Amino acid sequence: MRRVALVVAIVGGLSALFVFGLLRGAPDRNVPSNLLGRPVPTFVLPVYERYLADFGPRLSLADHVGRPMVINFWASWCGPCYVEAPHLEAAHRRYGDEVLFIGVQTQERDARVAGRAFIERFDFTFPNVIDDDSRVSIAYGLFGVPETFFVHADGTLDHKHVGPVDARLLTERVEALRR
Amino acid sequence: MELSLGTLGSAAAALALGLSLYALVAGTLGAARRDARLQTSARLTAVAVFLATTTAVLVMQAALLTDDFSVKYVAEQSRIDAPTWVKVVTLWAALEGSVLLWAWLLTGYTAALAMTTPNHALRAWALAVMQGVQVFFLGVVAIVANPFVVLANPPFDGPGANPLLQNHWMMAVHPVLMYLGFVGLTVPFAFAMAALITRRPGTEWMQLTRRWTLAGWGFLTAAIIAGGWWSYEVLGWGGYWAWDPVENVSFMPWLTATAFIHSVQVQERRRMLKSWNVLLIVLTFSLTILGTFLTRSGVVSSVHAFGDGPVGPVFLAFFVLVALFSLGLVAWRWDQVRDRAELDAAVSREGAFLLVNVLFLALTFTVLIGTLFPLIVEAVDGARVTVGAPFFDVVSLPMWMLVLLLMGIGPLLPWRKAETQSLTRNLAWMLAGGGLAAGAALAFGLREVYPVLTIGLAGWNLTSLALLLAGAVVPRARLTGRSLASASVRYAFEQRRKVGSMIVHFGVVVVALGIAGSSGYRTDVQLRLPYGERVAFNQYELQALAPFSERTAGRVSVGVEVAVFQAGRQVDLLRPHINAFGTSSMTVPTAAVRYTPGHDLYLSIAGAVDPRADAVIIRVIQSPLITWIWIGAVILALGTVWTLVPARSLGPATAPAAAGQRARA
Amino acid sequence: MRRLAPAVWAAAAAWLLLGQVAAQDVVLDPRVFEIGRELRCPTCVAESVSESNASIAREMRQIIQEQLDAGRTRSEILGFFQDRYGDWILLEPPRRGLLLLVWLLPVAAALGAGAGLVALMRRWRAAGEQVAEVAPEDLARVRAALAATGDGGTADAGDRPTPRTPAPRP
Repeated sequence: MRRVALVVAIVGGLSALFVFGLLRGAPDRNVPSNLLGRPVPTFVLPVYERYLADFGPRLSLADHVGRPMVINFWASWCGPCYVEAPHLEAAHRRYGDEVLFIGVQTQERDARVAGRAFIERFDFTFPNVIDDDSRVSIAYGLFGVPETFFVHADGTLDHKHVGPVDARLLTERVEALRR
Repeated sequence: MELSLGTLGSAAAALALGLSLYALVAGTLGAARRDARLQTSARLTAVAVFLATTTAVLVMQAALLTDDFSVKYVAEQSRIDAPTWVKVVTLWAALEGSVLLWAWLLTGYTAALAMTTPNHALRAWALAVMQGVQVFFLGVVAIVANPFVVLANPPFDGPGANPLLQNHWMMAVHPVLMYLGFVGLTVPFAFAMAALITRRPGTEWMQLTRRWTLAGWGFLTAAIIAGGWWSYEVLGWGGYWAWDPVENVSFMPWLTATAFIHSVQVQERRRMLKSWNVLLIVLTFSLTILGTFLTRSGVVSSVHAFGDGPVGPVFLAFFVLVALFSLGLVAWRWDQVRDRAELDAAVSREGAFLLVNVLFLALTFTVLIGTLFPLIVEAVDGARVTVGAPFFDVVSLPMWMLVLLLMGIGPLLPWRKAETQSLTRNLAWMLAGGGLAAGAALAFGLREVYPVLTIGLAGWNLTSLALLLAGAVVPRARLTGRSLASASVRYAFEQRRKVGSMIVHFGVVVVALGIAGSSGYRTDVQLRLPYGERVAFNQYELQALAPFSERTAGRVSVGVEVAVFQAGRQVDLLRPHINAFGTSSMTVPTAAVRYTPGHDLYLSIAGAVDPRADAVIIRVIQSPLITWIWIGAVILALGTVWTLVPARSLGPATAPAAAGQRARA
Repeated sequence: MRRLAPAVWAAAAAWLLLGQVAAQDVVLDPRVFEIGRELRCPTCVAESVSESNASIAREMRQIIQEQLDAGRTRSEILGFFQDRYGDWILLEPPRRGLLLLVWLLPVAAALGAGAGLVALMRRWRAAGEQVAEVAPEDLARVRAALAATGDGGTADAGDRPTPRTPAPRP
């Protein structure tokens, strides 16, 4: 009896572990950010031509701390980025007075043409900057694109979302920032 | 229902499943009731199952080769302009097809077993167990993940197989070898189950399956090393083993199977370690099924993992079933399998084999813990960690050194009890050999711990092999009056198992040296090669000549021609390139390798090839002794084959002249 | 660069001023790949930074080279990435807390197996040396039989089992 119990215990333990593994879905696509609650890294990046008038040739994140921010990382080769883009623009148009939306093109080099096309396609009226050598995305601990960072007014990270955002999530998260 | 290839294939798969179910039921009933007619019926049905599955495989190949995109698997995996060989190997390029291949090989083995095993009490139950496993795999093919599903709107073309799988001919070889290995090891498992059921836990089940086990082990070994060579040639980072989870799950059954093939000898000789052997083979098969689960469920993150959806839970259920059934059987019959052993001395062949078991089990446990640890931590803590190559290397290397040590001394130990005098003499020789080798390494300037230790252990092992050979051949030569060479040849042909195992151990030493050299003394840099200029690298000078591009069936290659100079003379022209396949945006950098016995020079393009640029960035890797791994693998394979071929006598034992002399004396 | 017209050259210079240096145009020394072997490529599925050809892996190798040039040590560089990505980025789990288990369990298993082996061998050795208990009548019968065959069996013959001789070398 004891032997049978041992067998059942070992097999049962392993099975429980694997059932957990099956239920939690694809591994490593949603690692929690190490920056939560900490000040997000600041950066100084060149902006696209559309925004030169409002933001100058370079955008420095440090200048804008004091407002809640939504920082979205995208790339022109990234499919889900096309899906979420309209929602970001809509959220900006709704909350742009209080919350600063910033788009960062990353993980592709020398892709200004493609980037410009992306911005124009979705008519982004919020500033988009170019992280050509991906240093900023590494500083933010990106696992891929798209990823969106929701930052408090004091500059600390409230929430990181991996994957495309939708309207509901944006509303929920931005409302949380405004409070 | 119109007769398309898809419906034909589905029907064949369903037929195979149905026949297999019948064979399972008939076989089980026939075994339980000792009904010869039912047993014969089950055996013949096994052949029918094989034929039905072969039909399914042929239908799939036909669909692939004729670009029949109404078949779901073809539509998802194949492309019209893929080369023919790629279409053939697309059969096992993705989940559904790979399960079909596994099932087909399994039915082949079962049919061969059914027809060639002599009538024996174990045969019926063993076949029933094989049918049980078969029912599962055929069930997955026919029901859960059916590749033959007919698409209502077939596409005009498909995306093609994963580019990494089209890049090298090894794709045709490695998976087949791997499955032959896994399926081959199912046979001793089935016979072990039969032995437990029929209460015959003696040596019969091992002796009946000895050749099957060795063949399966040989295939698995070849598959693992072939996979390493494939990684080396295809992946561009000059390595051959990454301790990736899927690599690990193919490695664990190999570890327990290696322990098993050694441990069974103790049972053959001394009737000991019965429980060990049964548990080892149960563990081997369970780990195989666990491996298929982990590979196809997406539970661990791996570059090799493929598969998702309903397949995961199905494989998990089968793993639980296998584990509970086999371990339950062992627990039920424990009294018969339990060792009431008597050991004369720890320092003996039995003791050595026991130590082998323990070492390999410890290694298996280490690899298992490392592979599952991220999952365990996440289940307990929610935290995310990674356990990668550095961990496995650090923890397993000491154990590998112990394995090499044991491999040297083990074959020299006699059964029962080692006699002190000869043992000390042998040890002295081996220590001298090992010390000499290590000393030579140190004299050459090598200072890394593990490579020097490996070289010392190589000397230890080579001395051991020489002592073994001399100890067997010299007395033979003296007794029969033949020359040493002639006696050696006769010995080799007559003592297949012994000589075969010597060759295999020699192969292991060669592989170990290859691994030590290529891990310990590898040079890995990234260089900027301006076109037309010579850049120095170790003893070579590299000169990038010009970029090139080629187009072959289904792929476009863009690369750089690099001339390799040594001592001022050009010795090679390497063409590392980047392949792009079909519509996939994924590009595969393909390395160009200069193979020499002493080291490899490995060039891989880092980044893009820009025709307007005046330089190209190349990753250059020099790995000493890495070819010895592949050579060692071939030696291992030859040794295994040597062991499997039956021994035959080479004429009279005594030379005619000597016989005449003795008659007169 | 030589072929570019002056205007484009100016634009390129402006671009350069903004700190854009092509990462690929740099020679990497072997230490980069050694350290890279201990870091996981974030966007890949289970590959190290040394193995992967993904763009982020290439950028990370570039960062490692720059940090090495700036004199940072291996642990400082690993810590740099760990700070941004968490423990997950390290291919060798840090040795603290629950994670110690992955290091301890194999060692414990090996030691436990070794100890178990020693105990097992002791038990089997003892079983081997155990003298079988024989009933006195049987003992007398054996002695009588031995005497009858003229073996010159001594009184000691039946008391102890004969010592085993080593089996002939195979």
